[in-house]
Amino acid sequence: MKKDVDLLKKKSRSQRDIVEKAGSAGLALSGLVGLFFLVILVWQIAIPTVIAGETGTIEPASEFIPESDYVLHWDYPNIDDQGNVKADPIILELSWDDGQTVEELEIKVVSQRGLTEDVYIDENGISTSEVEVGRKTKFYLKSSLTEQIEVKQISGPVPAADETGAPTVSSFVVSIDVDVLVSEDGIVFQPIELAGYAVLLVTMIIVTKPSEKSLAPLQKLYGKDKHVRIGSIVLAIITLALGGITVSSTLAAIGWLLAGIMVNRTTEGMQRLEQQGRTLKEVDRLKHSISNRDGLLMWARMLLFASTLFIPLAIDIPFLTERYQDIFQPYSSGIRSAFFGTIWVMTIAMVVSIPVSIGAAIYLEEYAAPSRTTKLIQALVTNLAGVPSIVFGMFGLAIFVKQGGIGLGLGPSILAAGLTMGVMAMPIIVLASQEALRSVPTSLRESAYGVGCTQWQVTKDHVLPSAMPGIMTGSILAMSRIMGEAAPLVVVGAAALVLFDPEPLAGIFGGNVNFTVIPIQIYFWTSEPEHAWHSMAAAASISLILLLVAMNSIAIILRQHFRKRLNS
Amino acid sequence: MAENFLLNGFEKFSKDRARWILFITSLSVILITLGIIQTLLFEAISFFKQVASARGWFTLDLEFAGLTSQTGLSAVIFLLAFTAEYVSNYKPEKLSSIPEKALFPPKLVKNILFILAGISFLFLNSGLLYISLIVILVMWGRISNNSLKQGSADSEDIDNTVLYSLGILSLISLFFAITTNYGGAFGEFFFQTQWTPTGACADRRALCENMSFGVNSLLLTTLQVAFGALFIAVPLGVGCAIYLSEYASPRLVAVVKPTLEILAGIPSVVYGFFAFIYIGPIVVSIGEFAFGNGWIDQPPNILNPINGALVVGIMILPLVASMSEDALRAVPNELREGSLALGATRIETTLRVMIQASLSGILASIILALSRAVGETMAVTLAVGTVAVYTSNMFLPAQTMTAYIAQRVGGDLPFGEIGYLTIFAVGLYLFVITLALNLLGNKVLSSYREAY
Repeated sequence: MKKDVDLLKKKSRSQRDIVEKAGSAGLALSGLVGLFFLVILVWQIAIPTVIAGETGTIEPASEFIPESDYVLHWDYPNIDDQGNVKADPIILELSWDDGQTVEELEIKVVSQRGLTEDVYIDENGISTSEVEVGRKTKFYLKSSLTEQIEVKQISGPVPAADETGAPTVSSFVVSIDVDVLVSEDGIVFQPIELAGYAVLLVTMIIVTKPSEKSLAPLQKLYGKDKHVRIGSIVLAIITLALGGITVSSTLAAIGWLLAGIMVNRTTEGMQRLEQQGRTLKEVDRLKHSISNRDGLLMWARMLLFASTLFIPLAIDIPFLTERYQDIFQPYSSGIRSAFFGTIWVMTIAMVVSIPVSIGAAIYLEEYAAPSRTTKLIQALVTNLAGVPSIVFGMFGLAIFVKQGGIGLGLGPSILAAGLTMGVMAMPIIVLASQEALRSVPTSLRESAYGVGCTQWQVTKDHVLPSAMPGIMTGSILAMSRIMGEAAPLVVVGAAALVLFDPEPLAGIFGGNVNFTVIPIQIYFWTSEPEHAWHSMAAAASISLILLLVAMNSIAIILRQHFRKRLNS
Repeated sequence: MAENFLLNGFEKFSKDRARWILFITSLSVILITLGIIQTLLFEAISFFKQVASARGWFTLDLEFAGLTSQTGLSAVIFLLAFTAEYVSNYKPEKLSSIPEKALFPPKLVKNILFILAGISFLFLNSGLLYISLIVILVMWGRISNNSLKQGSADSEDIDNTVLYSLGILSLISLFFAITTNYGGAFGEFFFQTQWTPTGACADRRALCENMSFGVNSLLLTTLQVAFGALFIAVPLGVGCAIYLSEYASPRLVAVVKPTLEILAGIPSVVYGFFAFIYIGPIVVSIGEFAFGNGWIDQPPNILNPINGALVVGIMILPLVASMSEDALRAVPNELREGSLALGATRIETTLRVMIQASLSGILASIILALSRAVGETMAVTLAVGTVAVYTSNMFLPAQTMTAYIAQRVGGDLPFGEIGYLTIFAVGLYLFVITLALNLLGNKVLSSYREAY
């Protein structure tokens, strides 16, 4: 009994800390596992399975083939880039009258789209012995006979079995060589950027857990602050000059600068320690003598997590950043337009929703008197958070997309999508921010009032800074939640097939409004019948989950850092 | 005067500008809500207007012969039981007018009724009739008991909620029994079961005779999926919450909680993919077993409501678990410790104290999870299919309300045509259902927050 009570007390005390720590560890671990899966998947995609040139048979469809009820369709036949047939042409053997009448039908698949020709079977036999069919098209075998017709494939690639049992040929794999890891220009590999990340990681480890061994080389840098600073700046400039002003090179440049600052601070702290007559063996003391250590570490961690998003850019996985969707060849498709579409939609949603929702939360928590209006707004916020996402999509469709009535007429554009997503994120952010503001102790407010601050000064200078971690965490989590939402964007009108980079302001200034995001891409790829598209959908899912994990990790780092600071 | 007012207002504004700016930002919440309701209502009304212009608003064909059908009969029996119970409860003095023989009949009559109930259970399709017979037997017994202790009738032990819901149920089933056809815009939308909004029409854009807008076809699938999901999520989620808050060691909590958070963070379309690729074939193999044994009349399809229910159940599991755990943790420690101090074992403390004390919180989590399940879109669209049929066979492809909206809007819908309007009518219905559930859930939630 005593043990139980003790355990309960102990639990409530230590639980939160452990949950926090293990939470971030778990997220990091799942990120790594995701990365591992991604690598495996990309590896599998890089070596597509080719079933070409084999022969086989197809079971007959039914006892009796009624007119125009017999469909064969080839979606991805064994042809190469130029539209030439690589393996044997597909030859079907049609037999009826107990095998007395045997006819052969040769099917050539050509690169032209939409080409189709129906084949009729009557007493005189089949109408033609050779048909040309375009890629991704259907053709019909129409019979006016009463006997059962057996269809056998005697040449050509073996189709996968269909679940309905009908000889629907739909699972041929394109037999072309695709390298997903390497783009056409060979590996685009920026060593200086990766080196920047690596140096930042190493300095971060040294500053987090200083040891005698790792500090020894730093002793040489005593009094060379300027050199380190100039060196880091030069390296940052070189990174920017070589990589161009892209996100990854900018991040790497900041990484160089941050690493330089961290090294300088560490040597400074070591010198201070030695001036006090202590040795470097007392590494625990060193932790305290490095000025602003926690803040630097936070920035370093956040930068590293942000760079996990963009390391794909640094080593350039074509799937993410280079390839558009290829409707004929699943394995050479990519999610470039969806990736950039997602980034743009999130940016617009953030710009729209975060200021407004934080303002609303401050009003509700700090300013509003408990009146009927306040209660109404509070109730509306709580209930808006539970409205199905698709209803927000319909709201966006009527208000932002369509013209006429109160519609703004932005068309199915990124702007309309971003505004819709922003509206959807609002109640979530308001609720999270309110929670954060509520957790600020009243004594803080009262003491600020006590020294004569106005209400706005109290809010701005005292309440907001201590509520900021909660608000930021809530905002990031809300963003990561709407990032995975596809339903509102299906309604707003995200396209299934976008073969160019999205234009974020096309809704106002004209231009091509079509856009897509990663969840939509996953949705449409999953709806495709071929298995090849499903593995692409899996790859896109893993990319999306990695993006989400990175965002959530940033939120968790922020929360932990600020909580530690508030407690100390 | 007006000048003064303006001046004052301006002074106040410039003095505390921040207040007004913040107030305006919070007004945006009202604007959004009004916008949602306005759009949904506006388009839904024009949908009903269009349908009503061709078919009238609401028509009802009554057929009193329907009273003799099984449903009608059971409804009448229910109504009888309800009336008798009401009379015995609130006007116990009237019981004396009933001859004693009717209240305490010879055993034979009761036995015959029991045999009738058994027969109806075995041979009639309507389980309602069977239940109604049982109910009237129970009522009979209670009235007899009441008449024994006349004068000091303690009606406290009779639950009013059961009584009223029984009465409402009987009235509703009576209404359904005597009505043969519902027509007009509202009658068709709310009572019919065929959903063919495109129809076999020459011009699909305009309203034509072959179109049918019976939303129950979509509603049935939605409820199948949502309640199926609850069937999975509630036992697992509540069990998980109890284990996490009462039994698990901090280290285990530290492992399980992030897992739940990750589960909650996975996008719904990824769940849909998961359902389509992995869960679907498993369900199909189960369905094939059932089909082979003749339990269902049509072979199963890879897209079906069971598939959707499974995946939505996994999706709402973290919600149920975390909210129930919050509710369990909100119970003051004194209750737990008091129960332990009185010598109750852990399981007794959990079942008799903790769950009882946090019941409203758990209930709220279930209601909110139901609302989430009803509004879930992408996973359901990928898992359940896009064929709107009204069937109780859950192995066949069907379509939920959200899936209909997502599928219909996927093509390019011109502004103002009938197809465009149907999605708003369905959306409004969905919005009302989820709003009602959310209001209920939040009310329950706030009540337990007040309690502690």
